[in-house]
Amino acid sequence: MSYAFDWSSIPRAWPFLADGMAVTAVLLAVGMTLGIAFGTVLAVVRIYAPRPIALLAAGYVNFFRSVPLILTIFWVFFLVPPLLRTVTANPYLSASPIWSALAAFVLAEAAYYCEIVRAGIGSVGPGQMRATQALGLSRIQALRYVIVPQALRNMAPSLANQTVSLLKDTPLVYVVSLTDFLGAAAAIGNRDGRIVELYVFAAVVYLALCSLGTWLADLLQARSRRRMAAQ
Amino acid sequence: MIVLDNVRKWYGTTPVLNGCSARIAAGETTVICGPSGSGKSTLLRCINALESIQQGSISVDGVEVTAPKTDLCALRARVGMVFQSFELFPHLSVIENLALAQIKVLRRARTAARDRALALLDRVGLAAHAEKYPLQLSGGQQQRVAIARALAMDPRYMLFDEPTSALDPEMVGEVLAVMRQLAMDGMTMVIVTHEMEFARQVAHRMIFMDQGQITADCGKQAFFDPAQQSERIRAFLGGMAQRRITP
Repeated sequence: MSYAFDWSSIPRAWPFLADGMAVTAVLLAVGMTLGIAFGTVLAVVRIYAPRPIALLAAGYVNFFRSVPLILTIFWVFFLVPPLLRTVTANPYLSASPIWSALAAFVLAEAAYYCEIVRAGIGSVGPGQMRATQALGLSRIQALRYVIVPQALRNMAPSLANQTVSLLKDTPLVYVVSLTDFLGAAAAIGNRDGRIVELYVFAAVVYLALCSLGTWLADLLQARSRRRMAAQ
Repeated sequence: MIVLDNVRKWYGTTPVLNGCSARIAAGETTVICGPSGSGKSTLLRCINALESIQQGSISVDGVEVTAPKTDLCALRARVGMVFQSFELFPHLSVIENLALAQIKVLRRARTAARDRALALLDRVGLAAHAEKYPLQLSGGQQQRVAIARALAMDPRYMLFDEPTSALDPEMVGEVLAVMRQLAMDGMTMVIVTHEMEFARQVAHRMIFMDQGQITADCGKQAFFDPAQQSERIRAFLGGMAQRRITP
């Protein structure tokens, strides 16, 4: 007895799948950009801020790295709105699933990106900081124009890795009943009794996206290496 | 004028500077030499506050380097520094290396900064390489860019921290030529170097350091005259000459 594949569900459900893909894309884009931005700030604070503040940042990072992401998503969805209602004394405040999911991803990913950027800053030799000081640049200017740009370049492969795992974590938003791409595919598969086809399709799409991301990161790094290195 | 007064510094309990005093007048080229670990580079870095000192005082044109109220960024912009390992910014093109601090520290307009950068690159013979990246250049070219970068801030003083020690022998000459020209143009320079032949040519003053102390501070003639020097300096110069013959 052989299984008869039927892929026709996919084109028929295309608009619904595309909506799911949009959710995935927004989570990925916002999680990555704000995560790297916030993570870079955390890394700089951990390295250069006075000890109490640096410890605070370290505590933040360790906390979010220790808590399962799914729990963070839950917490932000269920705990933050009542908290904000209390703080702002506005009883009608609520958080939609997409906003709370975005917040959760940025909070958690920043902790991971922070550790990567911190290693990247460590990879830039101390002489570079000394050179910026000798030129009269302030610490902030040195970080912004000299140290961090080099750190991000050095860390491109690790940043790409983290972003790939961010992409693969996006389906967790199902816990706040947000329908991302995988959620949409599963829903269609269940409705049409075509679970196998839809899951195969989803796997292929994730594989393609991850490969594209890794390839892009390699390309970017190769380009900056070519520019910087002796030829 | 740079005035060092009884400067003392320790790393933990190890003394690195043991009461160094000196005055460096405008227009002078001063060469600091001495054995490795004698505190030459440390003393140089104290002048623009890259290193802190624990006792004594340093002033540059009357501004106390160690005073808490001193605007270090402004002070450092007036004191150019060239490092042994160049320390160009590898992610910026040569001209951007020269323009960055002009724009951010001196608040020059972008075009003015680039014009100044190009003029200086021309002066060190590298105008053709303005759009290249530092690692595409040879060591000697990189060090000349580093000198131009420091000059772009229009400093009143230039500090050189073993500027030729990391270079292949055949590239030392081109860097020294730029420095020689600078000395002839009247720039006030303090140079830590082992290039004794160069010192003999350009220095007005020689400072000899040993174990964190300035043990000789005199004119070039007196320094290189064996009859006038201590046993220690004769031995050092002898060793240096030896090194030249058997690399």
